Amino acid sequence: MADQPQFRSSVTNPVATPAGAPALTDESSLTKVSVRARVGASPLGVDFTRTDRRDGVLIAGIRPDEWLLLGAGAGVEALLAGTEFDGSVNRIDVTHSRLCLRLSGVCSASALEKVCSLDFDDTMFPDGATGSASVAKVSSDLIRDDQDGEPSYLILADRSFGQYLYDAIHDTTTEFSSAWPSS
Amino acid sequence: MIRRLEPRSGEVIDRATPLKFTWNSKKHIGYAGDTIVSALLANNESVFSRSMKYHRRRGVLTADYWDPNTMVQVGTEPNVRGAHRLLEADMLVSAQNAWPSLDFDVKAANGLFGRFLTAGFYYKTFIKPQRLWPAYEKVLARFAPGGVVDLNTPHGYHDKRYCHPDVVVAGGGPAGLAAAISAAQAGMNVMLVEHNHHLGGHLRWGTDEDRAVADELEATARMAGVEILTDSTVTGRYDDNWIAVSQRNHPGVVERLIKARAKILVVAPGLIERPYVFAGNDLPGVMLSGAARRLINMYAVRPGNRGVVLTANADGDAAVVDLERAGVEIAAVLDARAGETISKASGSSRHLNSVTLLDGSTVKADLLVTAVGWTAPTSLLNMAGDRPCYSPKAARFFSTALPDNVIATGGIVGDGRLDELIAHGASSGELAAERAAAVKHRLRSTVTRAQTPEGPEPPMPADHRDGLCKAPHPELYRSDTHGMVDFSEDVGSKDLLSAAAEGFDSVELLKRFTTATMGPSQGKLETVNTVAVLGEARGESIEEVGTTVWRPPYAPISLGALAGRVFEPVRVSSLHEWHTANNMKPILAGQWIRPDHYGDPAAEVTNVRTNVGIIDVTPLGKLDLRGPDVPRLLNLLYTNEWSKLPVGRVRYGMMCAEDGVVADDGVTGRLGEDHYLMTTTSSGAGQIWQWAEMWLQTEHPDWQVHVTPVTTGYTSINIAGPRSRDLLTRLVDDVDLSPVAFEYMNVRSGTIAGVADCFMWRIGFTGELSFEIHVPAGFGLHVWEQLIEKGADLGVGPFGLEAQRIMRLEKGHFIVGQDTDGLTKAPTTGLTPLIRLDKADFAGKPELEWSLGAGAPELPVLVAIRPTDPQLVPDEACQILRKGTAEIVGRITSSRFSPTLGRSVCLGQVTPEFAAAGTEITVRLCDGSDTTATVMQHHAHFDPEGVRLRG
Repeated sequence: MADQPQFRSSVTNPVATPAGAPALTDESSLTKVSVRARVGASPLGVDFTRTDRRDGVLIAGIRPDEWLLLGAGAGVEALLAGTEFDGSVNRIDVTHSRLCLRLSGVCSASALEKVCSLDFDDTMFPDGATGSASVAKVSSDLIRDDQDGEPSYLILADRSFGQYLYDAIHDTTTEFSSAWPSS
Repeated sequence: MIRRLEPRSGEVIDRATPLKFTWNSKKHIGYAGDTIVSALLANNESVFSRSMKYHRRRGVLTADYWDPNTMVQVGTEPNVRGAHRLLEADMLVSAQNAWPSLDFDVKAANGLFGRFLTAGFYYKTFIKPQRLWPAYEKVLARFAPGGVVDLNTPHGYHDKRYCHPDVVVAGGGPAGLAAAISAAQAGMNVMLVEHNHHLGGHLRWGTDEDRAVADELEATARMAGVEILTDSTVTGRYDDNWIAVSQRNHPGVVERLIKARAKILVVAPGLIERPYVFAGNDLPGVMLSGAARRLINMYAVRPGNRGVVLTANADGDAAVVDLERAGVEIAAVLDARAGETISKASGSSRHLNSVTLLDGSTVKADLLVTAVGWTAPTSLLNMAGDRPCYSPKAARFFSTALPDNVIATGGIVGDGRLDELIAHGASSGELAAERAAAVKHRLRSTVTRAQTPEGPEPPMPADHRDGLCKAPHPELYRSDTHGMVDFSEDVGSKDLLSAAAEGFDSVELLKRFTTATMGPSQGKLETVNTVAVLGEARGESIEEVGTTVWRPPYAPISLGALAGRVFEPVRVSSLHEWHTANNMKPILAGQWIRPDHYGDPAAEVTNVRTNVGIIDVTPLGKLDLRGPDVPRLLNLLYTNEWSKLPVGRVRYGMMCAEDGVVADDGVTGRLGEDHYLMTTTSSGAGQIWQWAEMWLQTEHPDWQVHVTPVTTGYTSINIAGPRSRDLLTRLVDDVDLSPVAFEYMNVRSGTIAGVADCFMWRIGFTGELSFEIHVPAGFGLHVWEQLIEKGADLGVGPFGLEAQRIMRLEKGHFIVGQDTDGLTKAPTTGLTPLIRLDKADFAGKPELEWSLGAGAPELPVLVAIRPTDPQLVPDEACQILRKGTAEIVGRITSSRFSPTLGRSVCLGQVTPEFAAAGTEITVRLCDGSDTTATVMQHHAHFDPEGVRLRG
């Protein structure tokens, strides 16, 4: 049999970021593993609504009983292999289920405010925090994962919304581009 | 521009930027910064509209957003507020509510019958005879006021934004600016919303010193980091300080609706000048002092040549000074504080000619300016639960009690010198900041993702601000003559008195009967006058009469802004691009865009029945179930037994709601010891996930089960047809697909076309030998293309939903939601053996026990139906009747023409009396004719023994 084919994202038509606008990138090809445990348990030592990064793998407490691991496949596998779980913990690979977009830049919170009702103030949604909300009417998980000192948000949603959600978020960023008309 | 004044220090127009525009096809020139009306006035145009009912000529009244007389049509946009909208180059402006022209309006004949057109005229006159209403309606529609809507106008880019400012300040006058500055300087995130184009409120049309103060406040606010929105309105305040803001000047968008969740709302709207009621008060040339001063000081327009001023306050006095500076001859100044007033205004209907005083003497004038007091726009306070109270001393309403998260400041609170107003605003901003900090502390303590605040939650700070006084002001509402009260709705004081005499003497009833206060001004100009006139009728004071409750919106908002950007999420599978490139005829199934067919659904059926077809069934709901208690969950959700499903086997199940009604169905396979994959109907995927979670989280939190939706994690493809095994065998080499090794209703995992971790089920909705494969979605397109490529010699082809529907109907498989409805209980489906009442429990069991017990009402029965005319396909939902009667005994639930059988095939629900095989039934068709059909023995029209399916 042939080698495993190349992963195809559900964002089939990405477009260039307008100059000056927050950058929207598709990170759907990252390996994503959902770790499920009892409510109140902390199998990875990360609390609900918080994140941690270990050996390049982002661990996000996205629900009281669910943690999401994001990273390169080998890194995620190594982290899982090196962690002892009791019998009540389940691991489900959701790489193919979950779309993953990253919105980065100084105006990224302002752009998100156009499609999401969460409070993105630094004190309410600091770097390393997670939340769940509707983004352009799509149920999504949001993770603040700043990069190079600039705000950066991961937006995870059902794969099937890929191009729609990409287009909706991209549209929010255009207002912050240098080409947008000024008052 | 013959009425344009020489350059003035406070003008907001840019004389270096002239703008050409047309008014009723006549060319004019204005300046950037002009409003439409100021530019027209500068060009000596003084009539801008016809009134709503009597079609009286109307000129400028307030020269701001609230002016009821200056609604115009701009291009294809109707009902533009001409005294607010800024002039743009090449604007096409025209009058509305006049025909054939503004100057000669045929509908002005209404004025001749004005005495008969009192409030309630239409209700009373056109109510009978009822049969003539359609005719009345056509005629009356021609008299409807407003501009012309062009249905071809493209939907502009309307935007929406959510935000969470610490403090929202509604109003950018001196008090509002001061409040915003002090709150921002205290470290708060402040949004300042100003209704007009410029900050500073009344300072903008005041003296040079006033403007200097406004400029300084504005500069300080900007430096303090206040987010300033001009030409924007706080349109509503809802529970928990949910603030709606309409932003009309955001670049690049038509209008933006901001949904702000403010910790504290500071209400500082200032005051709105009130008209005076007297005969002729709506003649062009009669205006309020604020209008005259705005026109002179901001737009450098002389409002008239010879003026009379009625003044009851310092603003009226200032108007006299401004008019004189503008070269207007002051014919008379009447001081209401000394008991002087006017009786009526007279003119030619085109313009004012003279003013009659109380003693009967007349003064010739083309301009009458009144300054008789203010209305406190308490709308936002009303929305916060306040019921303002009238002060006869100050002749206006004041707030009584506000919640902690709403603070009022400025003219709406009281009177004072400019420095006192600013000081009150500043102390209000400080209070807002302190309270916002307390709210913020509480929010950060309760929102787990937030940074944990330091220290205990501070108490909500008390209000220790120094108050503002209530300066005495004469109560001036109506003179000794009758005049217009509501300029928007053409409701006069006489109309109000007649309505009160008819019994509509409660202010709420009066408002609704006469429509006073219900026009575009939304009561800002006319509410208090309405109450005052009603007080006259009742012989009571304004305080005793009370007032109506102002509700959102504070100012009208466009439907486009409310609609905002259009978010209609759509879902597609990983094969969507292939479908699109291969002649897919799409169908919208919920949010999913799916292939209905690829050009010829009948041919697709035939190909599946003879060769092999593949269909994209990705939307099929899929739930990953893990844990030792999964069988307990399955036993709870399904009606049948799940305790002993072996690994590698698949079982069909039906789910019911608590009332025994069929909720969903599907198959679940056991992939490992504690690992199952449940499939649901495509439309039921989300609902069943929630259903499962509801049981687990509320009733059985002790069960060890994790449910994870993986619907789109797998691209699901059904390979159906007698050659399906041959095709799949070419792509799989780690699973034995032979009939013996891989029996019907089994599941295997393996590698397909090089893609590992795929699942294969042997099930068949089409009635053919088929394999349903579930491939990790990122590789779905690869596998699909491989199936097409490797199966070319087998005749493989794609088929869509329509072909699938035909084949499942040939096979007699029902669809939940199509062949069942919200009342269909499980026994109706004929799957009674799957209802295991001997189980300890399952959702719907009590109801089904009762339904299947003795004495329960008989339930309908789902049956296969064969029309007598083989070519006739009754529409779905056609009624089934008792022969020779109109008694409904059932309905057709599904129907298609079967290309396999060469005849029509149906499923339907009938009462048990008609369910026996061979029963002849009557079907009433949509055209009203009847046809006959026969009830069949099996649900399956095709291969009832299932030989092909199990092949």
